Amino acid sequence: MSAFLDARTLPDRTVLTPDLAIIGGGPTGISLALALAHTKLNIVLLESGGMNFDPRVQSLYAGSESGVPYTALEAGRLRFMGGSSNHWGGYCRPLDEIDFEARDWVPHSGWPIGRKHLAPYYPRAQQLVEAGPWVYDDSGAAVTAAKGAALELGKGGLYTSWFQFSKTRDSVLPTYFGHRYEADLKAARNVTSYLHVNVTGIRLAADARRVDRLDLATLEGKHFTVKPRFVVLAAGGMENVRLLLASNDVMTAGVGNQNDLVGRFFADNPIPRDVATLVSFAGPLAQYYGANTTMDNGAIMRAVFSTTRHYCESQRNVGSLTTVEPAAELDEAGKAAVITTALALGVDASNARAYSLGCGMELLPDPDRRLTLTGDKDALGMPRLKLHMTIADEDFALYRRTLAELGRQLLASRAGMLRISYSHRDEWMKAMDWGHHHLGTTRMSADPKSGVVDADGLVHGLGNLYVAGSSTFPTCGASNPTLNLIALTLRLADHLKTVAA
Amino acid sequence: MTFLKGQNPQGGPARRTMIAALVAAATAAALGVYRFTNLMVKHYAPTPYDDLLAHLTDREQAARLGAKVTGAFDARREAATLRAALGSRTFTAAATADIAAGRMTEVDGWVLPQTVVLLSALASRV
Ligand SMILES: Cc1cc2nc3c(=O)[nH]c(=O)nc-3n(C[C@H](O)[C@H](O)[C@H](O)COP(=O)(O)OP(=O)(O)OC[C@H]3O[C@@H](n4cnc5c(N)ncnc54)[C@H](O)[C@@H]3O)c2cc1C
Repeated sequence: MSAFLDARTLPDRTVLTPDLAIIGGGPTGISLALALAHTKLNIVLLESGGMNFDPRVQSLYAGSESGVPYTALEAGRLRFMGGSSNHWGGYCRPLDEIDFEARDWVPHSGWPIGRKHLAPYYPRAQQLVEAGPWVYDDSGAAVTAAKGAALELGKGGLYTSWFQFSKTRDSVLPTYFGHRYEADLKAARNVTSYLHVNVTGIRLAADARRVDRLDLATLEGKHFTVKPRFVVLAAGGMENVRLLLASNDVMTAGVGNQNDLVGRFFADNPIPRDVATLVSFAGPLAQYYGANTTMDNGAIMRAVFSTTRHYCESQRNVGSLTTVEPAAELDEAGKAAVITTALALGVDASNARAYSLGCGMELLPDPDRRLTLTGDKDALGMPRLKLHMTIADEDFALYRRTLAELGRQLLASRAGMLRISYSHRDEWMKAMDWGHHHLGTTRMSADPKSGVVDADGLVHGLGNLYVAGSSTFPTCGASNPTLNLIALTLRLADHLKTVAA
Repeated sequence: MTFLKGQNPQGGPARRTMIAALVAAATAAALGVYRFTNLMVKHYAPTPYDDLLAHLTDREQAARLGAKVTGAFDARREAATLRAALGSRTFTAAATADIAAGRMTEVDGWVLPQTVVLLSALASRV
């Protein structure tokens, strides 16, 4: 059967027996369903919300926090079809090769797969996020040729890289996966999407080697059972944890939590604001620095300063993406710095312009940055989550060093100079914002001792439960996750085509 | 053609005297403005570091930047460092060498070549 069904209209105690149950209708779940559409697999997509925001459903996401201030758990994600893509920013950029590698200066780093394993899936992921032709760093030269010269950077640790953006539908918003792919899902005869239904438990067989069934509930009090051959948990980087930990009837620590790893290593990309002031000696920067710029081929581009592999390796640093933001004013000391430096370098700075800089940082993995369950229950009786958030002084120090290197490179090319805004932790914290990228909580590892899932996303020790999405990223890089998690999901789809056929 | 009294057709001695007097007065005024006001350019008392400070095209701005350099600053010692760094090089060459070698110093958050910072700090302290 192919349809969008309102689960509230099903008879109570309905039992479904699909080949595959996908839990969650966000970008991950939808991409997986689309990749397996028109196959012989009988698939159910189980989505907690409807097609639009409903405060009652959204409140199921509420939780608590400790540690450094972080976005409230119910504010940083959306619980209806399309998930958080209903308010995402559409920033896309593939992870860099080094992001997948074990780096001896980054504890707990190293994916069991490399970028080459995702490479075949990026083109389709790029289509799904509707980011136009694959341009990124491959054709940055074409952008500068068409839209004006890039700010020259001297040889060093950073280079001009590129974001692409989810094609802004109706010229305004990035792809909302629920609405955008509703028709495609409905057209897939082997996929049935159940809306308004919550998975409340992942029940294992007594030998703890397979999922036997899923417990489902509506807010109206109906209960259903799904007995699938395979399950993919795609409920987002926080909710995946909640479901695994709360399903503790057979594995008492929670499903997949035999090594106390589920919920640990939570990560996000910090995006502190106004981290520096960049002065361009020659005057205004090309438009593609501060704003999204549409190319003739439809790609929407924005320049960003990224760290090179050589820099990260030689300086034992991590990834970051530094963006140019609105124009800034200089104080008298700033003007003196610019005049004095420009005169020293023999550069004409009479037309100089200053800009604020923003960034997205890679956080060092921290096992104590974690999600746990609390005694509080939601309307379905599910224990609520608590997030303990951390950010280390080292995280700020590493990024600060990268900013200093960018400043040096600007001087080396005589193109400009840079002022770093913050030195102390409290200054950084005051400027702090987060990407709302929920990563790392069911990390991928070849060794069950250091990860929750294997290289295919299969929960270690189980034969038919997979986890998909950015919760499987062992390290997060600085790139925004969605393009990457979709590529990873498409890889999982290929795997499932083989194992579930 | 008529001539005023005291003039002659060739612009004789009276006119030349007047022009010379005007030029002399203007020169004196300009020198006065130059020497005793900041209107044209600022004047500094001689210092032991004038050989270094001469590298600064705008000493006032450099001093404003240098005032932001915090911590102890031993002018005599830093001047020796600067002399060694500058040697026979131009200020631009020394600053460029700093950048290439990564000899950078932060002042009020600005990432700057060390020579620029030292010279600015010297300018603000003499
Ligand atoms: C404000 C904001 C801006 C962002 N901007 C960007 C950006 O510019 N670029 C980028 O790459 N990423 C961005 N992101 C992140 C991006 O939205 C996520 O990476 C992406 O949505 C993750 O997809 P997902 O399907 O794994 O999870 P989600 O989008 O969280 O979807 C999970 C789905 O599961 C459903 N669900 C949850 N629990 C259950 C349950 N128990 N039973 C049934 N269904 C359930 C939810 O209703 C939801 O539909 C942004 C996020 C936010 C919040």
